[in-house]
Formats: sequence, structure tokens, C-alpha cells
Amino acid sequence: MQATPLAITIKDLYKQYPDALTPALAGLTLNVRENSFTGLLGPNGAGKTTCISILCGLVIPESGQATVYGLDCKKDKVAIRGVTGVVPQEIALFSNLTGFENLKYIGRLYGLTDKEIKQRSGELMERFGLEKHAHKRVSRYSGGMQRRANIIASLMHRPKLLILDEPTAGVDVQSRALILEYLNEYRQNGNTILYTSHSLEEAQKMCDEVIIMDEGKFVTTGKPKQLIKDTPDCKTLEDVFLHHTGHTLRD
Amino acid sequence: MCSCIIQAIHYGTNKITKGTVKKILATIAKEWLLMRRDIAGMMLIFTMPALLVIVMSLTEEGPFKDYQDMRFDLLLADNDAGSLAQGITNGLRASKNFHIIDSLDGKPLTEAKLKDLLRNGNYTSGIVIPRGVTAEMVNAANIIANNLSEKMGLGNAFTVRPPRDTMYVRVLFDPDAKPTFKNSITFALDKYITYTCSNMLINRMGKLGNATNPTDTGVRDLKRVFQGIGIREVALNEDKKEQKQFINSVQHNVPAWAIFGMFFIVVPIASHLIRERKEGSTLRITLIPHVQIPVSLGRTIFYTLVCTVQFVLMFCIGIWVMPLLHLPSLYIGTHPEALLPVAICISFAATTYGYLVGALFKTANQAMPFGSFSIVIFSAIGGIWMPVELLSGVMQRVAMISPLHWSLAAVNGIILRNGDLHDVWKYLCMLLIFGIVAWVLSTYISTRYRSVQ
Ligand SMILES: Nc1ncnc2c1ncn2[C@@H]1O[C@H](COP(=O)(O)OP(=O)(O)OP(=O)(O)O)[C@@H](O)[C@H]1O
Ligand SMILES: [Mg+2]
Repeated sequence: MQATPLAITIKDLYKQYPDALTPALAGLTLNVRENSFTGLLGPNGAGKTTCISILCGLVIPESGQATVYGLDCKKDKVAIRGVTGVVPQEIALFSNLTGFENLKYIGRLYGLTDKEIKQRSGELMERFGLEKHAHKRVSRYSGGMQRRANIIASLMHRPKLLILDEPTAGVDVQSRALILEYLNEYRQNGNTILYTSHSLEEAQKMCDEVIIMDEGKFVTTGKPKQLIKDTPDCKTLEDVFLHHTGHTLRD
Repeated sequence: MCSCIIQAIHYGTNKITKGTVKKILATIAKEWLLMRRDIAGMMLIFTMPALLVIVMSLTEEGPFKDYQDMRFDLLLADNDAGSLAQGITNGLRASKNFHIIDSLDGKPLTEAKLKDLLRNGNYTSGIVIPRGVTAEMVNAANIIANNLSEKMGLGNAFTVRPPRDTMYVRVLFDPDAKPTFKNSITFALDKYITYTCSNMLINRMGKLGNATNPTDTGVRDLKRVFQGIGIREVALNEDKKEQKQFINSVQHNVPAWAIFGMFFIVVPIASHLIRERKEGSTLRITLIPHVQIPVSLGRTIFYTLVCTVQFVLMFCIGIWVMPLLHLPSLYIGTHPEALLPVAICISFAATTYGYLVGALFKTANQAMPFGSFSIVIFSAIGGIWMPVELLSGVMQRVAMISPLHWSLAAVNGIILRNGDLHDVWKYLCMLLIFGIVAWVLSTYISTRYRSVQ
């Protein structure tokens, strides 16, 4: 039993894509505490992206229940989208618009005033080191810059819950540090963060809670330190991960 | 589906909030930015239809002129040199549609030479007037005159011989000549032969008249008696400003290909939609609450405006550029202001069809050929390639299902029939209904199937 209220609850989620042989999610159950920095970990094809997509109403599960702040993912997806910021695994921006134009359009769609947009985008761009590139088209950004712009776009409306799908994949050390530092700070301001990553070292450092899943099912959860302590012969989170998920190749 | 419609109505009626309008405007601004960035795409949207309109008007100028004010070369071998040949040539010359060639290289045309020229395909038609035909005509007129004078108890006035019935004016055609063309020549000839014969008859009767006394009719010149009887084309709508407007190359091709070009916007719109899905920006929009409908409305409005500008541009070309190319200027009817709502309805139908194609297909490789071929087919059955009147009966009915036909019918109602909105409202309603159905379907498919799995 969790003492703090839950931001996300997932119960017995089952999802099979039309032409897939095995289900992407096979009875997944997990909880994410409010105001936590939670890492959702799992090998390739474990179902992390599918899980996130269900939470924001992009994928409809065959069965099971998922809620965000008590809102049902099937029925209340519009309300959920209002309080959630999702950073997709792939870049989701207008590549022929500049960074600022993207933020301006997205901000307007969130109903922000032009003044708010200017202030918020200026602040975020500066924070993520993009202020000099605000008027460059996103298609001309480097990979790392695109990732950062992708995160900023999800922060425009100051979501209470931020879900990030591999935000640090393919970025350099500096970018990664900058992103993680911001996320940590964002969490400290009373928000909840759920993120996925294949860097277990990073997860061990950042997360106060990790959830390991594999083949569409929940495997284990806990504080990284506790998990390492509780699993025999494990010195790092990576050891714990390998202990639970094995060495065979996925996908 | 239902929820989509309800949501649309919900937005359409009491919930058009300031926020929604702002989202629509933001989308229009964003589409404008994207279009401005893609100069090449923008040029294509405007220059290709412009080029099409000009090229089609120029190439179809000949065929359209065929049946109107084009002059045909008509070979004439006159073996008779009498007044019948004179009557026919005078008549044909006066009609302005024929150019009579009765001599080549200073030598009068012989029958053999005439046949040679037709066989070689140098000319399409020729007339041979047989020797003695005028004498035959005079003889026939004399017989009738005698008959009349006998009945009046005056006895025979002219010496006559029995009529022969082998005196035909022979018409020869290039084997390639079209039936309509043949008809128009035979009709014209027939008319001038009859005219010359009746003139001859009047002439003979006039000579009889010296013996009788025609003064009490009050008509001295008998040849003018029938002048008040004949055919004259008048404008259909006498109440509207009388303006004789005949279909010509510009009048058909400018609106027809302008509409085709407008509907071709389906291709860039569909690929634009698919590209946004691919680059992930559609996903970004999906993640924002309450924006599906304003975004969809915004881009529909934007491209409807683009299409309307296309229409205006094509019509400007019709009015001002065509005369520079020695083509007639486009006549836009007595209610040109009605063209704007017509253009907006056409643009709306074209734009929403583009979004429907973009929503129906997953990849640009599927959407682009489907989009373009469907427009070509809709245009072929809709009377864009040739006026619907020239299509067969079945095809004329099939044309009714083509939005391009409704578009063309609406435009023609204004520019050919001098109509106003009252005269074309039926077509505008059909375009609007088509557009609304396509819009609802595309929005539904996009939100239900293209952004959710
Ligand atoms: N659109 C789809 N259609 C069919 N199968 C899919 C689709 N998306 C994912 N899958 C399958 O579902 C399973 C889970 O995929 P998912 O993307 O959720 O995994 P993941 O944990 O995010 O993997 P990764 O770490 O590689 O991003 C995989 O086997 C994948 O092949
Ligand atoms: Mg993934």
C-alpha cells in the first residue's frame, strides 16, 4: 500500500496489435506515485511505448483499466491530455516551422495568450540552450536540438504529469545532463515525472522509483537502492535488470 | 462518427468561443507560414493550372471554331458558268463561313483537279456544278410560269422542253470529314440552290407580270418579298441584359480547367496531411485537448481561400491574358459578383475532398495516384474535357455525380446564361453538402483511425 496518492494506476492492461504475433501488453499492472520521478524500464519491445500511448489515449487496450489522476484513459482522454505533457519517442514537431513558430502554434492551441507564449517559450528555450536557434527551422536542428525542442513543446502548458519516452536517447553528454537537471527541478516543483530509458545508470541516478517490465508484463518495482539491496549478487540497477529480464535478445 | 458530428455541431452552434476562433486563426497562420516556406509548391499550385488554362484554350481553339466562325476552304469546279453557280458562290461568300476556291494558279478548277486535291487531303470539301444546270433551272422555271399563265388563260409565255432529272450539284468530301461538318456544308448548299431557284422563278413570273398587272399588291420588287421571313438567333433571357454569348474555346476552357486545377489541390493537400502524420506533428496536435475540430476547420478554411485565389487568378487570365494571345476575352456574365460565392463553394468541395483522400490513405504513394486519377475521372465524366452537351445520353446522366460537373454547371450558369445565385443555388448546395460530408468523414477517419490504434 502506497502512502502518497497515485498519479497513474494501471490494472491488467492487455493490448494486441492487429498483425502482431504476441500481445504488446499482457496483463500489465503498475502504479506511479504523485510527485515522483519514476523510471519505466524494460528491454526493446517490452511494451513501454504502448503503455504510455494507452495513458494518453493514443492506443486503445483490449481490456484492463488505466487512470491518470483518477481519470479513465478511455473515457476522459481529453481531460487527461489537459494535465499531462507527453514527450513522444519520435520527434513530434512541424519540421518546416522554426522552433519558436512551433512553440507559438502549440501554445496557441493550448489556449495560452501570445504574451504567455513569448514568456514561456523564451524561458524554456533559454533553459534548454535553444535561444540562439529559435528562428531556425526544426528540420535544420541537430538530433540533440530536436530532442530538446520536442521536450519543450510538451512543457508549454505546465503539465502536472510529464511522461517522457526515451528523452535522452541519442543525445550527447551535455544535453543529457541539461535535460535531466531540468526534469529533476520540474519534479521538485511538485510535478510527477514518468520516463523511459535504456540507460540504467541514468535511471539509477535520477529515479526515486523504478518499474521494470518485460514482454508486456510487470516484473518488479521499488527504489533503485532497495532493489539492488534486495536482489542477490547485484551491485547496480543494470545487474538487477539483467537478473530479472535475462540475457536473451528481444524483438 | 456520431460523436464527430455532434462535436462539430457543438462547435458550430453555441460553443464558438473566442478560444476556438483563436485556434482556427492560429492554424490558418501556421498553414500560411508553411505554404510561404514551400515556394516551389506554391508556384506549382498557381502556375500549373494557369498554364493548363492557357494551353487548353489555345489548342482547343480550332475545334471550337469549326462549328462557329471558322472559314472553310471550299473547292468549286464550275462546268456550267451560269447563274446557278453564281447564286451559290454569292450565297456562300456572303455567309463568311466559306472561302470559295474556283481557280488555282490562275486556271479555273476542273473536276479532275478538284478530286485530286481532295484525295491528297489538301482540302476537305468540294462542289462540282454540272454543265447545263442553269439552263435546266431556267427551263423548270419556265414550265411553272407557263403552267400559271395557262391557268390564267394567257397561253404559254415561254418555249420549254421536257425536264431532265439528272442535274445534280455534286458535293465531294475528304474521307476524313466529320458528319457534322458534312451536314453543315450540305445544308448551306441546299439553302443557296433553293434560293437561286426561287429567284429564277420570281424572275420568270415578273416577266409574266408585264402582261398582267401586279401594281395592286404594292410590291414592285418581288425579290424582296420573302426578306422578312427567315431565322435570326436571339438571346435566351430577353429580360436580362441582352448579350449574345456563344461557347468558344476560352468560354469553355477557362472555367473548366480552372475547376480542374482547383480540384487538383487534392494532391498537395493529401500529401501535406500524410507528411504531417509522418513527421509526427499530427501526433503533437492529437495530444492537445479540444483542438481536432478547430485545427481541421482552420486548414480547411486556409486551403479554401487558396483555391478561391486560384479561381480568381484563372479568371483574370481569361479576361486579360487571353486577348493578348489573340483569343477572345472571357465573358463573365451580367452578375460577376455571384462568381465569388460559387468559387468559395467549389474551393470548399475541392479542399475537403483533398483531406478525405489524405485521411483514407496511409501513404503518399497510395494517396497521390488515387487523388489525381479520381480528379481526372471526375473531370472526364463531368464535362471538363468537352462540354457535357457533346457527351452521350448515358454519360450526360453519369456527369451528374461529378462534383466537377456541379462546379462547371454553376460557373456556366453565371457566365454563359447570365444567371445569378438564384439560378445556380442547386449546384452550390450540392457542392456544400459534398464538402460537409467529406469534411466530417475526413475528420472522423483522422481522429478515429489515423491517430489511435
Ligand atoms: N503499431 C504497431 N503495430 C503492431 N505492433 C506494434 C506496434 N507498435 C508496437 N508494436 C509491437 O508491440 C510490442 C511492444 O512495443 P513497444 O513499442 O510498446 O515497446 P517498447 O518497450 O517501447 O520498445 P522500445 O524500447 O524498443 O521502444 C513490440 O513487440 C512491437 O513490435
Ligand atoms: Mg518505445
